Amino acid sequence: MLFKERGVLNKVEKKIRVLTVKVGLDGHWRGVTTVSLILKNAGMEVIFGGFQTIENAVNVAIQEDVDVIGLSIHSGAHITWIKKFVEELKKRGLEKEFVLVVGGAIPEHDFAMLKQIGAHDVFGPGTLPDKIIQSIQEKVEKRELESKSV
Amino acid sequence: MLNEDDISKVKSEKDEWIKKAGCQQDAEIFHTTPSGIKIKNLYTPEDVSNLDYLKDLGFPGSYPYTRGVYPTMYRGRPWTIRMFSGFATPEETNERWKMLLNSGETGFSAAVDVLTFNGTDPDTPGVDADVEVGTSGVPLYSIKGVEALVKDLPIKDISVALVTEPMTAIGLTSMYFNVAKNKGVPLSQVAGTTQNDLGTMTIGYITYDSLKPDKLLKLACDMIEYCTAMKQAPKWNPINFTTYNYREGGINAVQEIAFGFTNAIDHIEELLRRGWKIDDFASRLAFHLSADRNFFEEIAKYRAARRIWAKILTEKYGAKDPRSIILKYHVQTAGSSLTANQPLINVARTAIQALEAVLGGCQSLHTNSYDEAICLPSEEAVKIAVKTQQVIMEETGVIDTIDPLAGSYYIEWLTSEIEKRILNYMQEIENQGGFVKSLNNGWLFNEMSKAFNERQKAIVEGKERVIGVNCHLDEEKERPIPFKTNPWAADIEKERLRKLRAERNNQKVATLLDQLRYDCAQNKNVMPTVMELTAERATLGEITRVYREIWGIWELPIAI
Repeated sequence: MLFKERGVLNKVEKKIRVLTVKVGLDGHWRGVTTVSLILKNAGMEVIFGGFQTIENAVNVAIQEDVDVIGLSIHSGAHITWIKKFVEELKKRGLEKEFVLVVGGAIPEHDFAMLKQIGAHDVFGPGTLPDKIIQSIQEKVEKRELESKSV
Repeated sequence: MLNEDDISKVKSEKDEWIKKAGCQQDAEIFHTTPSGIKIKNLYTPEDVSNLDYLKDLGFPGSYPYTRGVYPTMYRGRPWTIRMFSGFATPEETNERWKMLLNSGETGFSAAVDVLTFNGTDPDTPGVDADVEVGTSGVPLYSIKGVEALVKDLPIKDISVALVTEPMTAIGLTSMYFNVAKNKGVPLSQVAGTTQNDLGTMTIGYITYDSLKPDKLLKLACDMIEYCTAMKQAPKWNPINFTTYNYREGGINAVQEIAFGFTNAIDHIEELLRRGWKIDDFASRLAFHLSADRNFFEEIAKYRAARRIWAKILTEKYGAKDPRSIILKYHVQTAGSSLTANQPLINVARTAIQALEAVLGGCQSLHTNSYDEAICLPSEEAVKIAVKTQQVIMEETGVIDTIDPLAGSYYIEWLTSEIEKRILNYMQEIENQGGFVKSLNNGWLFNEMSKAFNERQKAIVEGKERVIGVNCHLDEEKERPIPFKTNPWAADIEKERLRKLRAERNNQKVATLLDQLRYDCAQNKNVMPTVMELTAERATLGEITRVYREIWGIWELPIAI
C-alpha cells in the first residue's frame, strides 16, 4: 500500500476510505445512510455496502482498500455481530488492517464490552456528527502512525 | 361564524391592538411548524371566516368526520390501550402480555423479530440468521410459535395486532387464524389487525431481500380481498397503513398523511381492477399514525386527515357505506423524539404526545417506554407507559366532551391549512405516477432522505431544540442497565422448528408449496393456499422463499 509507505497521514493528499454496512437481516437503514452522507460531506470516500454478510463485508473492504469499516446494528444483537466480525478478521489475519467502528441502537452499558472485543469506537443514539468524524480521523491517524513504527 | 362586518371590525381592532401593545407584526415574528407552516402571534375569527360549520366540521360520526368518526367517541368507549410488545421467545412474550393485561392494557400488539418480519427461518444457512432470533421482537416462525404466544389469553374478547409486512403478513395472519380456529374462535369472529403495509417495508424500514413493490402490493391486496371482500374474516383489519413508520424516517406531518393516503389509493385502485366495488372492502382499510413533537400541528393533522379521507372515499370513489368513509386509526407516540440522554425525560415527552393523540380522536394508542431509545422496554418502563394513558383517561377530564379543541381559531385554521398542504403534496406524488411507482423510481427515497438530513442538520445546529441533547444539558447520571433478551432464544426456536419438521406431514407440505408456486406464477390469490400450508405447519421461511423464488428480489433505488 503506497499510502502507508508514505507515512504520516496527510488529510489533503489522501482521503479516508470508509465502508459502511448493515450486517444481519435488520432493516433499520436510516442511521447508516445518514452517517454515510455525513462522512462523505466531511470529505471521506464512502462505499455504502447496504446489506452484507460478514464474509462479504470483509471481501469488499479488501477490494476497496478501505481504512475504516463501519457497521450499523439496530437489532440488539450488536455484541454477537461484533464478536463474529472480529473472528472473521482474525481468521484472515486482518485484525490490524482496518479501523472498526459500530453504530446504532446500542446502550452505553455495552460500549466497554464492544471495545474489548475489538471495536475501535461505538456511536450510540444521539451521537453528534462531529464526534463520529473526529473519532474516525483520530483512529485512522493513530493506525497510520502505528503501522509506520512497526 | 361571524358576519363580514364583525370580521372586519375584529381585523381593525387587531391592528389597533398590535400598535397599542407594541407587538411586532405577524410577518416579523412568524414561528414555523415542522411542516413549514408559518404561525402568527394570534388567531382571531378573521382566520376562520370561511369556515362553514356544517360543511367543514359537522358532528361526530357524521360527514366529513372532522370531529371524530363515532357519534359518542370516548364518552361511549375510551380508546384501546394497545402496547406494541414482543421479545425473546413466544413464551416470554406471553408472560409480558399477561402482565400488560393485568396493568390495564385492552388490546395486544405483536412486535416480531427481524426473521419473522423478513420471512427467514433461523436455521437458514449462509446469513447467520440465528444471531437475531428474538433480539428485537418475538420469533413467530410457525403455527407452534403463535400458539405459544396466545396461550391462555382471551383472544376471543381482545383483539390482536400482527405487525409485519406484506411479504410475511399472509403467512403470519394465516397462522393466527388457524390458531384462533383451534381455540374455538371462528374466522367470522376473529378480531384484530395486520400491518401489511408495503410502505413501511420500503421507506421507513428496508427489508433484507425484499420483493418488488408491485408484488408487495399484490400480496397486500390478496389479504384485503380474502378477509374483507370475500368476507372470510370480516372483523379483521387486513391492512394498517403505517404512516407512523414513514414519519419516523424524518418527514413532516403533511408528508406523513400524503404518503399514507396515496399508498391507500394504490391499493384501492388495485382492488377495483380486480372487479370489487369500493364498499366491498373500504370499511376495513385502517391506519396507524404518529404523534410527534408539535402539539397543535399533530391534532390539526388528525382532524384534517379524517376530512380528506371522507372526501376521497365519497367524491372520488363514490363510497356509500359510512364504514367505508371513516378514517380509523391507531396512534403511536414518536419513538424518534426519545433521547438516550436523560431517558426519564422521555416519560414527559410521551405523555404530551399521547395527549395529542387523545385530543385528536384516535381509536387506539401505544405509548413508548422511556428506555426505548436504547433497548427494548423493561417491565418497569412499559408499566409507566401504560399508566400514562390511564392518567389521561381517568384523571384529566379531557375525554368528558368530544373534540374539545374544535372552534379554536388556531386549531380550525391550522386544520384547513394542513388539509390544503396534504392535498397539494398528494398531487405531487400522483404526478410521479402514485405511491408505488414513486417508490420504485426512487423519488420517495429522495424525499425521505432530504427531509431526514434537513432535520438532522437542524438538531446539530440547535435550530430544533432537543432537551438533554443540544440544550438544557444536565450532568449525566449513570444510565439504567438495559433490558436484555434471552441469549438462548435461537437454540429454543431452532429446536421448535426441528421438532415441527419431524412431526408434520412433510409430503403434504411439499405438495402445498408446489401449489403456492403455481398460485404465484398464475397470479392467483395466495391466501387460501397459505391458510392450508400454515395449518399443515409450514414455516414462514418456507412460504416466503417461494415468493422470492418465483418473483425475484428487488434492487433498491438507493444511492448515497
